[in-house]
Amino acid sequence: MDLERIDNIPTDTIAGFRVRPGKPLPFGVSSVPGGLNFSVYTSAGTACTLVLFSRSESAPLGEIKVPDHYRIGDVYSIVVYDLDYEDLEYGFKIDGPFDPVQGHRFNPDNILMDPYARVMSGRDEWGVEPDWSKPYQYRSRVAFDDFDWEGDTPLEINDADLVIYELHVRSFTKSDSSGVKFKGTYAGIAEKIPYLKSLGVNAVELMPIFEFDEFENSRTHPDTGEKLFNYWGYSTVAFFAPKAGFAATGKFGMQVDEFKQLVKKLHQEGIEIILDVVFNHTAEGNERGPSISFKGLDNKIYYMLTPEGYYFNFSGTGNTLNCNNPVVRNLVLDCLRYWASEYHIDGFRFDLASILGRDPWGAPLSNPPLLEALAFDPILSSCKLIAEAWDAGGLYQVGTFPAFGRWSEWNGKYRDTARRYLKGDSDQVGEMAQRVQGSPDLYQWNGRSPATSINFITCHDGFTLADLVSFNEKHNEANGENNCDGGDDNHSWNCGAEGWTEDEGIKALRTRQSMNALSMLLTSRGTPMLLMGDEFGRSQHGNNNAYCLDSPISWVDWTLLTSNKLLFDYTQALVNFRHQHPCLRINRFDHPGSSHLPSCSFHGTSPWQVDWSAESRQLAWLMSCDKPDSKLMDAVYVATNTAHYATWFDLPSLPQGYGWHLCFNTGDASTPHHAPTTPYNEHGILVGERSVVIFSASPSET
Amino acid sequence: MALTIDVVKGDVHVTLVLNGDVDTKTAPDLLGHLTSLELHALEQLRLDLIEVDFVSSAGLRAIVFAKQKMPHSSRLYLIGPSSEIVETITKTGLAQAVVIVESEAEI
Repeated sequence: MDLERIDNIPTDTIAGFRVRPGKPLPFGVSSVPGGLNFSVYTSAGTACTLVLFSRSESAPLGEIKVPDHYRIGDVYSIVVYDLDYEDLEYGFKIDGPFDPVQGHRFNPDNILMDPYARVMSGRDEWGVEPDWSKPYQYRSRVAFDDFDWEGDTPLEINDADLVIYELHVRSFTKSDSSGVKFKGTYAGIAEKIPYLKSLGVNAVELMPIFEFDEFENSRTHPDTGEKLFNYWGYSTVAFFAPKAGFAATGKFGMQVDEFKQLVKKLHQEGIEIILDVVFNHTAEGNERGPSISFKGLDNKIYYMLTPEGYYFNFSGTGNTLNCNNPVVRNLVLDCLRYWASEYHIDGFRFDLASILGRDPWGAPLSNPPLLEALAFDPILSSCKLIAEAWDAGGLYQVGTFPAFGRWSEWNGKYRDTARRYLKGDSDQVGEMAQRVQGSPDLYQWNGRSPATSINFITCHDGFTLADLVSFNEKHNEANGENNCDGGDDNHSWNCGAEGWTEDEGIKALRTRQSMNALSMLLTSRGTPMLLMGDEFGRSQHGNNNAYCLDSPISWVDWTLLTSNKLLFDYTQALVNFRHQHPCLRINRFDHPGSSHLPSCSFHGTSPWQVDWSAESRQLAWLMSCDKPDSKLMDAVYVATNTAHYATWFDLPSLPQGYGWHLCFNTGDASTPHHAPTTPYNEHGILVGERSVVIFSASPSET
Repeated sequence: MALTIDVVKGDVHVTLVLNGDVDTKTAPDLLGHLTSLELHALEQLRLDLIEVDFVSSAGLRAIVFAKQKMPHSSRLYLIGPSSEIVETITKTGLAQAVVIVESEAEI
């Protein structure tokens, strides 16, 4: 016989609702038999009222003042019975002092969103103009969190074996050319899983999917009249809720199921999912911004404030979350634990992560409690933790980010070095040699490994790969800011003409430079990351900061998969090559190498000799290891020539019983890659101008 | 909108003919009917959704819950669901529990 609980009987009636004292944990809303438990905390608030709505109604169903004797510590909790939780929307009114100098901005008339809301309504369909007259814009809702995972668990792929693919949920399939049914949504990505699988990537990194408001700071282009949005979403409203506007079922409130379905489907195909998370600031802005949640709950706790009560702005967006305050730290931990356990997320990339290492007054901490807590959290222990190791307040911590042995970093130095080397800048050979090994100069000193380095040449910030080789200057006119936004230090080269050209020679060079970039990236030790569409030449027409564009400029044009098939095939072959060769994925700086060759050695036009001078434009690297479970040696030789003339490279000799096979040659425009079935019997190779060749070693046929 | 449920028992199957919306208010009715059917011994269950306009999260979960109670080899047919219902259950992964047919004649 199942016994009824003795603590589940209503004890009071308030505003016509049957209620009883709730439990402080878990925070947010949770089911109890016959009712819902609501829990919210505020250290400086003096009273709490739960406000209930029926879905989309302007007037509340009721307002329940939570009795003070229901409070435990700073937490107000209450159980409310007989609610239709599929129809319910709720929020809180918190009373307290309004004293901005002291950091308090309470307003008892303002309805606040539950910071632990697992579903949010108010922006259910992307781009649908909100009813701005509604008093409560971003509404907390109850999630159905049951889901049939069919035995799914996080994949726990080794860091060094990852090939990460960064994408924006809407951009990836919004274009009609995508051919998917559910364009611009989580379900749309699921339809493209066969494509991702064929490309060979084994991790997708999604730009922000925590609820944000695409209408935040939305405006109209002063010249074209086009609507400009908060498109990228680096401005979180609800940390525990997947964005409904990215779900085909968002209008039905089923984004939780749809997103979990995407995770499950990706995992079934061996693809991890990493989320880009934004804990450095919130959508509430500064003192002129809206009070959505934190500002009205506990402003002084959640934000870094100046002595006068204004908002420190290390994020460049108006406010800075006070991440090393214990309360905020717990929120961040709760959030990530929730996504890891409820959604089976494999990893997190932290936007402007250096902010997470600042103290409440903005000073960098040597042992930031939050970063340490994340590094050692038991639920997150298998999650990838990736830091964008800088912020907008002057901190640049690539190589010095407080890693606690766990964090990896977006390696901005890899990006800059690779770009400069690619376009033939002087004095890059020495730097490049560091980068292709996994940047030991940055990471070996504190015991980290090559996979600490997330190697990338392009990402959402900056040019696409096609534009990197097509433009010298940014062209962000579509953003409506007179081309003043976006970075200027792009280290790009247009190959002879700015933008679109009919010159076949320039077009061929651009294709070759794209292949060169991908060749270097995918034969470097560390963890490579690709930007969506780079594998077939996606262009944003020179826009290097398309943060506000919900238009074909941002959307992936899938017709390029056909018109640039050569580039796609090349990229696909490179990704597969990387998976086939463990010597490229060695994850120790002190690796002993194979039985015959060192782990990583550098060569020039002559083997074992490098011209390290500033004017050198030739560098080759030879990586080697013993194959696991085999007596055979794995070896890959990559020769790069960034000069504007062809250069002969003598090949290093291989041990007895092995021969070289030419696998890739970007200088061969018609056949830049081929299966390594034919032994290469020459002692060297003429590497074309601005070209890369890649060889693999195989046992000689006897 | 209210939900009416008519139960038709066949030789090897049971059909529930639904008319109305299946949401939080009415899903418990559906669940009640389903659990009264001795699901653990039922080889085939048919849900006629021709006259159903909308099935919410709660409604879909009632259907999936029913399938979970049935024998592993059993089949749960959804007859004539609207395209919107089909799309919703496909996008959210709830379709794996059911077989969708346009009419009972296809079974």
